[in-house]
Amino acid sequence: MARMKFICDTERCIECNGCVTACKNDNEVPWGVNRRRVVTVNDGIIGQEKSVSVACMHCTDAPCMAVCPVDCFYRTDEGVVLHDKDICIGCGYCSFACPFGAPQFLSKGAFGSRSKMDKCTFCSGGPEENGSVAEFEKYGRNRLAEGKLPLCAEMCSTKALIGGDSDVITDIFNNRVKTREKNGKYPGSKAFGWTTAYGGPDAPAPTPTPAAKIPGAK
Amino acid sequence: MKAHFKILGLSIVAGLLAACSEPPEIAAKAAKRPDVAPYMGANNGFVTKGWTPGNQASWTESIDKRNQGQNEYSRIK
Repeated sequence: MARMKFICDTERCIECNGCVTACKNDNEVPWGVNRRRVVTVNDGIIGQEKSVSVACMHCTDAPCMAVCPVDCFYRTDEGVVLHDKDICIGCGYCSFACPFGAPQFLSKGAFGSRSKMDKCTFCSGGPEENGSVAEFEKYGRNRLAEGKLPLCAEMCSTKALIGGDSDVITDIFNNRVKTREKNGKYPGSKAFGWTTAYGGPDAPAPTPTPAAKIPGAK
Repeated sequence: MKAHFKILGLSIVAGLLAACSEPPEIAAKAAKRPDVAPYMGANNGFVTKGWTPGNQASWTESIDKRNQGQNEYSRIK
């Protein structure tokens, strides 16, 4: 088993927010907390508008783990970054350190304006007993222990968001890019690893389409 | 009068020694609890069939198969 990872294919994401809804519903995430969200860039630029579904990326060298003053984070053998809410003090350092904005806090709670941190668990719960009510109430579902993968990825209608063993999902993604290349889209994109998914250093910057070239636009 | 002084003396001594009997108020360092690996299975009725809880190899095989459910190229065949 390699490491568990998510990858979002920006060529396929249609900003339906199905992953966000599935996550909130399955884990009964409280109002105001979004473990997953869809970010859209280049809004309105024809051909350049892209959406990407973002949550905790379960980083190999996680900055949240590095800055936590009470050391509440741990990494499982599957490479999933989890935390113990009984140790978390809700200071918010992890949210400043995270480049993806994954750590979430309730706007009201035991710590006044902050609460215990909540984030995507790759649907693998926390340190409570696997599949128990206590685990569900604190961390949400433990689908990995049920032999399943995260619901956001499994129910994605366009299969833009894929999650699981990084070797397997990279393989699935590489296969897609190769097929696209074969069919004439992005020739020479050199399908290799993560840079293909999120754009490598050679990716050209998006250029806005002049209004004159858009039919009906003023 | 003597008795009053005795009581007063005893209460002062008791007051001074009270702090000695207080438990320490330094919070103990919170210890991380070990997490059980997912291949051990979940204690509920939602566990999928086709693998044996406690057997890592069978869990890995089952998850990898499920992973392919996200690959249309293998699903459509």
